[in-house]
Amino acid sequence: MSLSLSRHLPKDRESFSTLAVLVAFVGLFLVFATQADAFLTLGNLRNVLVNNVVLLAIVALGVTFVVSSGGIDLSVGVSVDMASLVFVSALAAGVAAPLGLAAGLGAALLVGLLNAILIARLKISPFLATLGVLFIGQSVQRLATGGGQPIYLVTKDYAEIFNAISRSSLLGVPTPVWVLILCVLATWLALHRMGFGRQVQAIGARPGVAWYSGIRVPSRLTQVYILAAVLAGITGILLSATVRSYVPMSGNAFLLDAIGATFIGTTISRERRPSILGTLLGVALLAMVKNGLLLIGWNFYWQQVGIGVLVFAVLALSFGLQRRH
Amino acid sequence: MSGLAIDMTGISKAFGPVKALVDADLRVARGTIHGLVGQNGAGKSTIIKVLAGILKPDSGRITINGTRVESLTPASVERLGVHFIHQERLLVPTATVAEAVFLNYELRFGPFLRPGAMKRRAEELIRTHFGLELPGDTLVRDLTTAQQKIVQITRALAQEAKVLVLDEPTAALVKREVDSLFAVLRNLRAQGIAVIFISHYMQEIEDLCDEVTVMRNGTDVGVVRPGETSIDEIVSMMIARDVGEMFPRRSHALGAPVLRVEGLSQAGHFRNVSFEVRAGEVLGITGLLGSGVKELVECLFGLEQPDAGSVTIDGEVRRFANPGRAVQGRMALVPEDRRAHGVATDMSVRDNITIASLDRYMTRGFVSRARENEAVDGFIRELSIKTPHRDQLVRNLSGGNQQKVALAKWLSCQSRVYVLDEPTVAVDVGAKVEIYTLLNRLAAEGAAILFLSSDLLEIAGFCDRALVVYRGTLNGEFAGETLDSDLLLAAASGARAQRKEA
Amino acid sequence: MTMALSPSSPESPAGASRGKALAAAAIRLGALATFAAIMAYFALTARGFATPFNIVNVIEQSAILGILAFGMSVVIIGGGSEVQTGGIDLSLAANAGLCAAVFATATNAGLPAPMAIAATLGTGMLVGAVNGFAVVGLGILPLLATLASMNIVAGIELTLTENTVLSTSSPLLSVLSSGRFLGISALAWVLIAASVIVGLVIHRTPVGLRLYAVGGHPEAARAAGLNVGLHVWGTYVFAGLCAGLAAILIVSRLSASTPGTGELLLSILAAALLGTVFSRRFVPTVGGTVLSVIFIGFLANGFQLLHLSSYWVSGVQGALILLVVAVTSYARPQEH
Repeated sequence: MSLSLSRHLPKDRESFSTLAVLVAFVGLFLVFATQADAFLTLGNLRNVLVNNVVLLAIVALGVTFVVSSGGIDLSVGVSVDMASLVFVSALAAGVAAPLGLAAGLGAALLVGLLNAILIARLKISPFLATLGVLFIGQSVQRLATGGGQPIYLVTKDYAEIFNAISRSSLLGVPTPVWVLILCVLATWLALHRMGFGRQVQAIGARPGVAWYSGIRVPSRLTQVYILAAVLAGITGILLSATVRSYVPMSGNAFLLDAIGATFIGTTISRERRPSILGTLLGVALLAMVKNGLLLIGWNFYWQQVGIGVLVFAVLALSFGLQRRH
Repeated sequence: MSGLAIDMTGISKAFGPVKALVDADLRVARGTIHGLVGQNGAGKSTIIKVLAGILKPDSGRITINGTRVESLTPASVERLGVHFIHQERLLVPTATVAEAVFLNYELRFGPFLRPGAMKRRAEELIRTHFGLELPGDTLVRDLTTAQQKIVQITRALAQEAKVLVLDEPTAALVKREVDSLFAVLRNLRAQGIAVIFISHYMQEIEDLCDEVTVMRNGTDVGVVRPGETSIDEIVSMMIARDVGEMFPRRSHALGAPVLRVEGLSQAGHFRNVSFEVRAGEVLGITGLLGSGVKELVECLFGLEQPDAGSVTIDGEVRRFANPGRAVQGRMALVPEDRRAHGVATDMSVRDNITIASLDRYMTRGFVSRARENEAVDGFIRELSIKTPHRDQLVRNLSGGNQQKVALAKWLSCQSRVYVLDEPTVAVDVGAKVEIYTLLNRLAAEGAAILFLSSDLLEIAGFCDRALVVYRGTLNGEFAGETLDSDLLLAAASGARAQRKEA
Repeated sequence: MTMALSPSSPESPAGASRGKALAAAAIRLGALATFAAIMAYFALTARGFATPFNIVNVIEQSAILGILAFGMSVVIIGGGSEVQTGGIDLSLAANAGLCAAVFATATNAGLPAPMAIAATLGTGMLVGAVNGFAVVGLGILPLLATLASMNIVAGIELTLTENTVLSTSSPLLSVLSSGRFLGISALAWVLIAASVIVGLVIHRTPVGLRLYAVGGHPEAARAAGLNVGLHVWGTYVFAGLCAGLAAILIVSRLSASTPGTGELLLSILAAALLGTVFSRRFVPTVGGTVLSVIFIGFLANGFQLLHLSSYWVSGVQGALILLVVAVTSYARPQEH
């Protein structure tokens, strides 16, 4: 629950375990702020937000729903890629931008629909279903691109469209950030304030109870996997606009981070339940650490080690404290 | 006292501020069957968990077969010859019968298993002790509840147990199986094995036990011999209250029919079932496993589809394609398997209560926390659900209180028809009475209640009328004078032919 | 009074379960038949597919995936196959990459072969032990714990190799890469030997039986007196050992350690999970894992021989996984 933070201020060690991520976040923020001069500049924070946080966060929001429903989605990367592939191909074929955009999101939706059919109708375990879709998605991309050739749209004709998506701003806030804000608001309401979210969480807690309580489990699961895919599709569009191209298999980069962020986010709830706030915190933590380690001069390899150790430490703190209550 | 197999003295155990055990004693002599009774929360399961090495006592002394033991672990307890037949069927579902019997004590040749020998030995043990042919390579998940219980006991016998602890072993057994289980236990007693027998069924305690330890509020309030002390006395020791009011009476008048079932049939399960339940009425329904009564209930709630017949609620013909439609049709089902279908134990009391009726708490498309909390607090008060707050996880509630949450879920829907499937199984006496009282109140407010139970005393004592399903058809309707557990049993087992009463 | 009327006719066990058992057997045969049909198709259409040389070649190519899939299978056996909370080791492939780097570095540094091997296997088992500690000691979800360690391990590999190919050679490596016995290459022998040993331990000793119990129902296993934590911890250490072993094979096959070993992860998962359909209990088995590893190997090989685009391979793999699993879950008894 998103409010568990304010409801349960730390009275004991168990409650403290819910704050492990927050403490780590604040602590590391201070470390980076003092150790790296460039860290606390407006330009850097803006860069982290627009380039690291937004893309990952939108994917992770979708994963949050899937994990809430008791499942997992290994194919979010495919949704990112398919949206990007169709969007960029449509533009290259001279299709109008809004239409191309819709087609891109539609492609992601189809990936979600495929997952939904496999999971909600054919009752395949989410792990296997989405793993299968991931394999198929990779094949489709290789076939569509002659083995993985990127599609670049660097000519001036496209700059306007791409800039409108990724470089414009409204009221001083970059458009991608607006997109994120809208997504966060919508998903927060859906998960924490609407019947939909409560029902999804009930399915995650105990599918049998949900079914016996009159919840239409298959259609809820269908909505969840489609939602996750479409959110990932939004990231796919933003990503294509940012890099002005489609790069095959680039969506996979988000997969493990999005799952990681979601599960890191569960540690802020006593019931270890995914929440929008928790996921955002997880995303922010991962993005900040990547950026901070870079700025204090760690090379790419050590950054990876650092992130792993950090995530490990946060989890150990959170789970370890809860366990010894 | 060398004759004692188990000597637990002055055992205390507290969980935070809650004192689960206070200076409790449990002494069991070799070659006796020792009953352990008490309401849920009286400390029965806590003292058993201490003996099993699952919980560490805060203080107290434990001697097993004359050996003083300082610290117990589940493994060391088994080495001392003490075996537990847990109430939950603690068996690996993907294991075979033979593997389940010999797990951790495998028969082997050098480092290798002897699957054939284990299979033969398991089958032989089951045959000698239970007179049953159970193939040793059957998977546990394909066994019935009773067969799983038998496998658990066989496991203990295979290891030559000296002390056998059985927690509610008969809860899922039919009479014949209970009889053969008792024969096995008496046989073990004759071999000098001590048996600790925990049961809510007082009749069994009286039939079987040599001595009974009665627990209340975390301590033993007496050790009695069933021959010398009556059941009523034992029960009043348990609850310190008069037992006369087990089944509270109803005095309201019955209204118009609410639920009308006509000619309902489902191939292979039941056929041509017709009955009606009036507003304010509690209609009991019972039948043996395989009689079709479970499938009947599933069809009513939209979990299964009938082949023919109609269901009418308040004069409107309804056909429920899924439980969602049934809930919309203001039908409620409190299912038998509470943990799988009744309450989500990892969700809060509040979320469980409102999950089926969220649209009642909506304001402008969003769930209104304020209205929800107010309603939930109301249910917690009304049903006296024992929980510190509405955000408590249901997992932390006792069985009876979990069942009240399952009921509150349907109260929150303002259902018209309540179908209750074994609502008082694994619920202690005090909570049972509370559930009966609550159902009475619902009935008084005009709800129609269909009460499915295999406890015939409960059907006879609590319901206005009762139906018995035998091999897929109604085999008699009972009310007033004829509403009697013996007649119900006769009808359920087919001993009595089709004869309409009342 | 005991009026507990409810369940059961005790004489029905075989009867009631016979239908289910038949269905499960049909599924298992169905999966095998699909496997056989595809093989037959390749044998008829792809020149050189059914030759002994090619078959040995495929088995040889499957050795690395096979060893790693054993590690994953054992982790899933001991941790259960629950989607979010079950046993899984996402760090397995990355661990193999790290071990390969260690092995290449140690060999290049002039360490004698036994020392280099010890260092490699030790590294793998150390990573496994840490994973096990995180899961058992700290109670972190396996999915999460091994996700974090995957990052750490992959990062360490990169720092060790600077993201380059570390070429190496030693007498041991040439024996492994080109040695033959009875006409079968050393790599294939390693897979055969590993299958036999792991198969014996998992299916013919108490250890395996207990692992299945621990994964299938931890409380029941605990009630039977088993040390659940130790068993689960052991599966992760074993997975680490497999990573070390696979690393030696990787280096011998390529005469180098190369970045990108981590990409094997999905194939390992697919092999271990696909293998469950060959078991009547729908749990990972050594035989099932071997079959699916070889199946995956033959699939790639057949495509190659048919001159079909390799772009199809992962898609067909994915589709087949879904097909087999859809049929399986249709026949699987409903669990809540």
